[in-house]
Amino acid sequence: MRMKHSTLFTMLVAFALCTVPPLIRAAKVGEAAPEFKGTASNGKTFRLSDYRGKYVVLEWHNNGCPYVGKHYNSGNMQRLQKKWTSQGVVWFSILSSAPGKQGYMTASEENDYLAKMQAAPTAALLDPSGEIGHLYDAKTSPQMVVINPQGVVIYSGAIDDKPTTDLQDVSNATNYVSLALEEAMAGKQVQTPATRPYGCSVKYADSRH
Amino acid sequence: MTRARRQIGRNMLDGLCITRKMRACNSSSGFSRTLTFGVALLLCAAGARAAGTPIPHGTVELIAENQWIAAGNTLNLGLRFQLEKGWHIYWVNPGDSGEPPRVKWQLPMGLTAGAMQWPAPQRLGTSSIVDFGYEDAVMLIVPLHAKAGLAAPQPARLSAEVRVLVCREMCIPGKAQLSLALPIKSQLPAPDARTSDLFTATRKSLPRRVPENWRFSVADANGSFVLTANLGQQITQAIFFPLAESQIENAAPQKLLPMAAGFRLTLRKSEQLLEPIARLKGVLVLSAGQAYLIDVPLGKPGAARNGYGIGIHPAQSLEEGL
Repeated sequence: MRMKHSTLFTMLVAFALCTVPPLIRAAKVGEAAPEFKGTASNGKTFRLSDYRGKYVVLEWHNNGCPYVGKHYNSGNMQRLQKKWTSQGVVWFSILSSAPGKQGYMTASEENDYLAKMQAAPTAALLDPSGEIGHLYDAKTSPQMVVINPQGVVIYSGAIDDKPTTDLQDVSNATNYVSLALEEAMAGKQVQTPATRPYGCSVKYADSRH
Repeated sequence: MTRARRQIGRNMLDGLCITRKMRACNSSSGFSRTLTFGVALLLCAAGARAAGTPIPHGTVELIAENQWIAAGNTLNLGLRFQLEKGWHIYWVNPGDSGEPPRVKWQLPMGLTAGAMQWPAPQRLGTSSIVDFGYEDAVMLIVPLHAKAGLAAPQPARLSAEVRVLVCREMCIPGKAQLSLALPIKSQLPAPDARTSDLFTATRKSLPRRVPENWRFSVADANGSFVLTANLGQQITQAIFFPLAESQIENAAPQKLLPMAAGFRLTLRKSEQLLEPIARLKGVLVLSAGQAYLIDVPLGKPGAARNGYGIGIHPAQSLEEGL
């Protein structure tokens, strides 16, 4: 009997392994946002599914990237974080840099950075394994994703329409994240649901460029 | 040493620096030749470091193919980037990350800069992120058009403000102010021996128009664009670089199927591509020095027989819409 159970168990495991696709499908606009669990720099654990019913913004972050620097040194990112979290939007900055790569931060380093920059995301999720990054096929920092209260990706791509590192380009740019949130909150179709996410490549463990 | 002699030495030296061959030595005596050669070597050693304007991890230099600007003619200018080992800059479509170099020209009246000509790029990246760009060194050619009848007593000062992103594991934005003074003459242009080899070499790496008997078609199938090429010969190696961003998944392997008279290349569609595209336009690289510009309309589903597109577009059309 015990033997039989063990055989059955092995078979079940084997079957499960067979049916699990080798590659988890990356997040796509119009489809359900993949569930993730992340540990934040403040030590708390956050699950995407806990925020069903709210808009969620994901911001891929690397503080050494000059494109990210443009939005933080101009105060643009902090303004967006404050503006939208004050309206009930959940905002996760996600750090997918691998240890030893540009933008990798320990929890205390990231907390210091958030304080120094007066950044105001709901939380900064530390993703040194790149798991969340790969789940969303994040290619650049600052790549942005907007998820609606039903848990569907309604925007993925660049933060705005000026793919440069010039600070002066922030003020006259069209911000795609704000546009998507404004349109969706007004019950309208998001006009620009996907763009090329400009910036620095995400510094995953295998990055060399 | 007279001014003229110094000038000869400098010219020779520059020539040496570029070609690394001593060809243009026309001094009359052996002693003078040796002296000039020695001086040239010294100048070369000193000049090698000062040749370009610094950018992060490299230099950029503005050079011209001809000795002067000929009124009513086009002169090719070159933005010559030289980078430290492992660093790269980007193609006009940078791929998944990065940004192409940009130039702002300040030119005297009667001179206008045309669109940049981009040599075929390389794929740079990993399994999940792929960029298109150039490692080590590249020259971007910009044609300068001079109005007919243009005349000036002073050399024309051509100024270019270059902004460039230089990356290896990290990216550093750089800016360089370049300048070149050239006389304007009514005579036909004469090539500059110091630079002509560089322009010749660069032109070989520019995408060419495809031969008229080549045929291409593109089908939209199962989340991929399938590019079929009939070139009259079997092809075992081909890489496609799309001109438009976000058409194909840059990091996806490009599956090549060699066929008797060409090949079939499967390009996975970009996740960011939410609407159908009318044409697939880009650079097809078959081997080093064999890059072609193709612009193929997508075959309508169920009407594949009408789906042939003939990529007979001059290299100039590469510049359009960039």
